[in-house]
Amino acid sequence: MKRLTYQWKNTRRDKMCILTFLLPVFVGIALRLISGVNFQAVGETSFGVLKKGLSDEAAVWLEANGSVAQYESESALREAVNDPSTQMIGVLDAGGGIRTLLSGDELDLYRVIAETLPQLYERRTEKLPYKRTVVPVQEDHDGLKSLLLAITLVTAMFMGCTFNAMNIISEKEDGVALINSILPMTARSYILQKIMLGIIGGTASTVITAVICVRIPPARIGSCLLLILLSAYISALAGLFIGYFSEGMMVGIIYIKIAMILFLAPPIFFYLMVPDGSVWRGLSCLLPSGASFYGLMDLLGGNPDRLGLYILILLAHAVVWSVFYAVMRKERVLTGRLF
Amino acid sequence: MGREFFHLLKKDGRLMLSGKFFLLALGSLVLYSVYIHFVYVNVNQEIYPVYLYDPKGKQAISTEYVTRVDTRERLEAACADRYSAGVDLSSDEPELYMLSSGLDTVDHYRAAWAWAALDEMADGQVQITGTNSREMKNRREITAEFLFFELSAVGFLGLASMLFKEKQMGVIRVHAILPVSRSAFIFSKLLWILASDLTFAALLTVINLGFPVGVTVLPAVLVQAGILSLLMALIGFLCAIGLPDFRQFSLLYLVIAVFVTTPVFLAGQTGLSWGWLKYHPMYHLFMSMKSAYFGAPVKAILYYLVCVGGIGLLFLLAHRALTREMVKEG
Repeated sequence: MKRLTYQWKNTRRDKMCILTFLLPVFVGIALRLISGVNFQAVGETSFGVLKKGLSDEAAVWLEANGSVAQYESESALREAVNDPSTQMIGVLDAGGGIRTLLSGDELDLYRVIAETLPQLYERRTEKLPYKRTVVPVQEDHDGLKSLLLAITLVTAMFMGCTFNAMNIISEKEDGVALINSILPMTARSYILQKIMLGIIGGTASTVITAVICVRIPPARIGSCLLLILLSAYISALAGLFIGYFSEGMMVGIIYIKIAMILFLAPPIFFYLMVPDGSVWRGLSCLLPSGASFYGLMDLLGGNPDRLGLYILILLAHAVVWSVFYAVMRKERVLTGRLF
Repeated sequence: MGREFFHLLKKDGRLMLSGKFFLLALGSLVLYSVYIHFVYVNVNQEIYPVYLYDPKGKQAISTEYVTRVDTRERLEAACADRYSAGVDLSSDEPELYMLSSGLDTVDHYRAAWAWAALDEMADGQVQITGTNSREMKNRREITAEFLFFELSAVGFLGLASMLFKEKQMGVIRVHAILPVSRSAFIFSKLLWILASDLTFAALLTVINLGFPVGVTVLPAVLVQAGILSLLMALIGFLCAIGLPDFRQFSLLYLVIAVFVTTPVFLAGQTGLSWGWLKYHPMYHLFMSMKSAYFGAPVKAILYYLVCVGGIGLLFLLAHRALTREMVKEG
C-alpha cells in the first residue's frame, strides 16, 4: 500500500496526465449533449432521387424502404451515387415504373437491392402472401451514438495501457528499472504495483464516462463493472508488455500505436462492416478489445445474453497474459539480463 | 551556411536512424499492406439471407438467395442475427418470421425481399455510372485512410521524439551558442520527415493500388501527403517544445489520434455528415486525401492557400517557441 502511495505521488504532480485520463469523460459529456437525431440514418438503405422526378406513389414507397435524399439535377444525383463513401442507389422514373443507378463499387447487398428494386416496385400493390411475424428486439435506437460511446469507453480503458507503458519506459530511461531489479521484490508485487495505477485510472475514467452517458439497469451494474475492470486490467497489462519490449520512448510509442490500431480498429471495423454472427465477427471476439467492445455494445443495446461469454473471454485473457508476463520476466531476471 | 545545413541534416538523419524511425515506418508499411491485401479487399456484405422451412415441399427453389432448413427451431436460430428473414410454409397459413433489425424501413424491405427471393425474381437491370469496382474502391478508400492516419501520427511523433531526445541531451542549449540559424534547425528536421513521409506515401500507394493505378493518382496524393506531413510535423515540434516530457506528450497524442480522427473516419466511411464537421480542419485534409485517391483532387485554390498559410503560421510559431526555449535554457 505504501509503495502504491509513492506511485500515486509520482503521478499526482503530472497535471497533464490526470487531465488526459479525464478527457474521455469530457467526450462522454459532449456525446450526451448531442441529440440522437443525426445518428438515425446509418444502417438504412439510402436512395437518391431527383426533385419532383418521381410520382408521389413511388416517393412514398421508397420512403417506406429506406432514407431518401433529393437532388436538383441529374448530374448532382450521379455525383452523389458515385461518391465512394456512400452506398446510395439512384432511383429515376421510367414511365410508370422505376429504374436504378449504381456506381458499381457498392457492397453486394446494395447491388442486389438496386437490381431487384424495379421488380419489387411493380408488385407494390400486391399484398404480402404471408402472415408477418416481426419479433421486436429491445434496442437502443441510436445505433451510432452507442457506437461512439463504446469507442469512448474502450479508449478510456486503453488509457491505462499508455500510462503504464510510458511509466515503465521512462523508468528505464532514468535508470530506476536497474534499481528495481536489485530490490527484493517478487514478480507479483512488481506487476501489481506497476499496473495498479493504470487500472485505477482506466477504470475510474471509464466508470465516470459510463455514469454520465449510459443508463444501465441496476441488475447489470455488477457485470458491467466486471467487464470494465477486466478490460482495464488487460489494457494495463498490455502496457507492461510494451514497456518490457521497448528500448526507448520512440519504439515504445510506435508499439503503443500498433497496439491501439489492433485494439481499437478491429471491433469497430467488424461491427460496422460485418453482420452479426459471421465468422470474422466471431474471431474478432477473441481479441480482448473485441470482447469488451461487443460486451459494451450489448449492454448499451440492452441484450446481455452473451455478456457472460465476453467476461469469460476477458478472464481467460487476463489469466493467460499475466502468467505469460510473470514467466517471461522471471526468465529474464534469471538469465541476468536486466529488463 | 550550406555546409552547416548539410551537417545538421546528417546529424538528424543519424538521430532518426538510431531511433529506429525508418525501420518502424517500414514495419507499419508491411502491417498495413498485409491487412489491405488479405482482409480489407474481401470486405463485403451479402443481401439478407432467406431461410425456408417447408416440410411439405410446397415450394421449389433454385435461387442462391434461399436456404432450406429442416425444423422450425433451425429457422428461428438462423434468423436470430436480426439480418436474415425466415419463411415457414409448414402450416396452412404461410408465415414470414424475422427479428426486427431496429429500423422499420429495413424490416419493410426485408419482408418484401424474402417474398421476392422465394418467387425467384430474375436479376434485373441496373445502370452503372461509376468506374470503380468494389475491390478497387476498397483499396483506394482504405489506403487513403491508412495514409492519413500514419501521416498524422508518424510526422507528429517522429519529430517530437527526436526533439525530446535532443532536449534531454542538451542539444538545444548547445545550439543557442552555435552560429546556426534557428530556421535551419527546424528545416533540417522538416526535410527528413517530409522525405520519409513522401516515400512512405509513394510505397503504400503503389503496393496497395497496383502500379498502373498507383502511378496515375500518385502526383495528387503526394501533394496532399506533403501538406499533411508538414502540418503535423510542425504541430509535433510545437508540442515537443511546449510540453516538459514525453509521457505527457504521448497521452496527448493518444487523445488526438482517437478523438480527432475518429469522427473524420466515421464520416468518411459511412457518408454521414454532421453540420459541425466542416469546421473540423482534419476533415478537410482527410477528404482532400481521399479525393486524391479517387482521381479527383481538390481544385479549390482557397484550400491550398489556407494550407500554405497554416504551414507558414505554424513555422513562425515553432521558430518563436524555439527562440524562447533557447533563451530559457540560457
